[in-house]
Amino acid sequence: MAKAIVLLFLAVLPAFLRPSSAQSTAAITDSLGRTTLLPPKVERVLSLQPEITRLVVALGAADRLVGIDYFLRAHDDLFKLVFPAQARLPLVSMANYNVNLEVLARLAPDVIFGPPEDGNVVEAIETKTRIPVVALSSMGRFDRLLEELRLVGRLLGREERARELEASFESRLASIRKKLEGLPPSAKPKVFLSFWNVLTNTPVSYEPVNVAGGLNVAEGSLPAYAGTLNAVVAVERILAWAPDIILLQGNYPPSRREWTVGRVLSDRRLASLEAVRRKRVTYTFGFWNWWDFAQVQVETAYLARIFHPGRFADFDLVAYGNEVFREVYGVENAFSSLCRILGCEEWANAR
Amino acid sequence: MPAKRRRFLTAFLLALPFLVFLASLHVGTSSISPGVMFKSLLSPFVPSWKTGLPQATVDIVFSIRLPRLLLALAVGAALAVSGASLQSLFKNPLVNEYILGISSGAAFGASLSFVVFGNRLPPQISAFVFAVLAVALVLLISRRSDSPVVSVLLTGVIVSAFFSALLSLVEYFASPYSLQALFFWLMGNLWKAGWSDLAISLPLIGLGVAVLLLMRWRFNVLSMSDEEARSLGSRLRREKLIVLVTTTLITAAATSVAGIIGWVGLIVPHLVRMIVGVDNRRVLPLSAALGATVLLLADDIARSLAAFEVPVGIFTSLIGIPLFIVLLRRAGKVWR
Repeated sequence: MAKAIVLLFLAVLPAFLRPSSAQSTAAITDSLGRTTLLPPKVERVLSLQPEITRLVVALGAADRLVGIDYFLRAHDDLFKLVFPAQARLPLVSMANYNVNLEVLARLAPDVIFGPPEDGNVVEAIETKTRIPVVALSSMGRFDRLLEELRLVGRLLGREERARELEASFESRLASIRKKLEGLPPSAKPKVFLSFWNVLTNTPVSYEPVNVAGGLNVAEGSLPAYAGTLNAVVAVERILAWAPDIILLQGNYPPSRREWTVGRVLSDRRLASLEAVRRKRVTYTFGFWNWWDFAQVQVETAYLARIFHPGRFADFDLVAYGNEVFREVYGVENAFSSLCRILGCEEWANAR
Repeated sequence: MPAKRRRFLTAFLLALPFLVFLASLHVGTSSISPGVMFKSLLSPFVPSWKTGLPQATVDIVFSIRLPRLLLALAVGAALAVSGASLQSLFKNPLVNEYILGISSGAAFGASLSFVVFGNRLPPQISAFVFAVLAVALVLLISRRSDSPVVSVLLTGVIVSAFFSALLSLVEYFASPYSLQALFFWLMGNLWKAGWSDLAISLPLIGLGVAVLLLMRWRFNVLSMSDEEARSLGSRLRREKLIVLVTTTLITAAATSVAGIIGWVGLIVPHLVRMIVGVDNRRVLPLSAALGATVLLLADDIARSLAAFEVPVGIFTSLIGIPLFIVLLRRAGKVWR
């Protein structure tokens, strides 16, 4: 009898150890190449990846979020503007994706979106909570951002809204490309991007610059297969590149910017640069834990205006920004509020 | 080692930083011929030479390479002399320039600047202030101990741990973007070097290194037991205090502008002792020369190895440690 009970126990044990395949209808391959089975209906979502959380809100599924990560809660002023209700969600992580697994288990989301930067974190969360974890990120590429949008839209049953957002994104980019038609390669300004609060830290590819008709001087310094990587270059390298324009990451509130326009203009080492002599040093938004779906569209148009003011003479950054944010998040004047925080009214007229 | 060979080696090691400095002037992304380099260097004194030179070349030489190389010389010398002095003072070969909590104090100071105060407080200032504060705490806590050397070292370890914990706390709440700037600073690098950095740190380091070099013969006395040192007329307490204050100031000045550059203060004095013996009259000046050389070479590699720049702190270890192992195998012993 005892033997029969043990055999019966062993027979049913696997059913408790992994989700039933009958219930899991969506097989997702994430940015880490992991395949995860998801339940047919995703009603409760937890995202540790700010880029995905923003997409969930843009897709109109903010009410399904069951928690909020530390970066969005503590450091993302924009997210607070487009989704003020985030303040009521429980905080589920601290810096460096340090999560409280018990809180995650208690919140019982149907899926957790995790960071692809750290595969160990993703595996550990999935193994310990038995909640499916999908690691996704655009890695700073437009095609991946749209892929991410489609995937999250499908999982949330918001395919129609995802198609709408994608079409509008494509249309805005197409409109920029159209205005740049016939632009000779020699008319593309050479651009140096100083990101992540360090003058010499630069992304080796940045698609908004390319679409806006500029040339990122650091492009190709590192293999770009992994998406946008950063490289720390020597100051002499910047001089050798001789950029026409220097763009500083402006997503920081002014008091937290290590490198300001004034500091670059007064840096003796850069004095011989054309960009410095002609004072073509300004801010752009840059990454903020990868991208905000609305902000990156505004940024691309803004860069096009900086690079080719003649072709975008009628561009109004704040009006354009408010329009895109209204379309993506359904919030009025969110971009104006963001601009007040970042001080971007000052650089709105930069050329 | 025969006296003649030792004299030759001493002269060679003292000349080495100047030779490496001249060679390093030619290391960089832009290729500058020796003739143009010579003209650029002398152009402030011979204004007519400036007219034919591209402004970019003059900027590269005067605003980028020269301050950076001078800073490498100064920081390398400061760290190595500090390490050699403290090893003698504490009669302990494992002591390095950061033993009294300078690095963790400086790191915490810099983290406060990057994460809490933003651009309202430059990291150099807060790093310097907290580095000095950490050592002051160590001296204050350990001042009434019966065995001062052990007490100072132990308190140094404890204060270091305390500031490291504070640093972790700040990092824990920091945004990833503040952390990027902080990690870059912590890894040690010289890319920010400008004349304004030198204007503050160079006099402090120069003065401190000069004081320690002038005291070099006293270190032979200080490295004896306290009884022996007193019998030779040493005013132990005062001299120890001078050494501690001076090493603190120069290490803090170096760390605040270059970040935390490890191993120089530990390895370089040992290398020198393996080459010329334990006499501090030689160890101190040669440590300064070799420390400056090692940091110059490490920085040359850091800025020329690839299209991007690697923090120099990584290369001080990659150069210093194999060199140390080779010499250790040859000498067969570590000098105390």
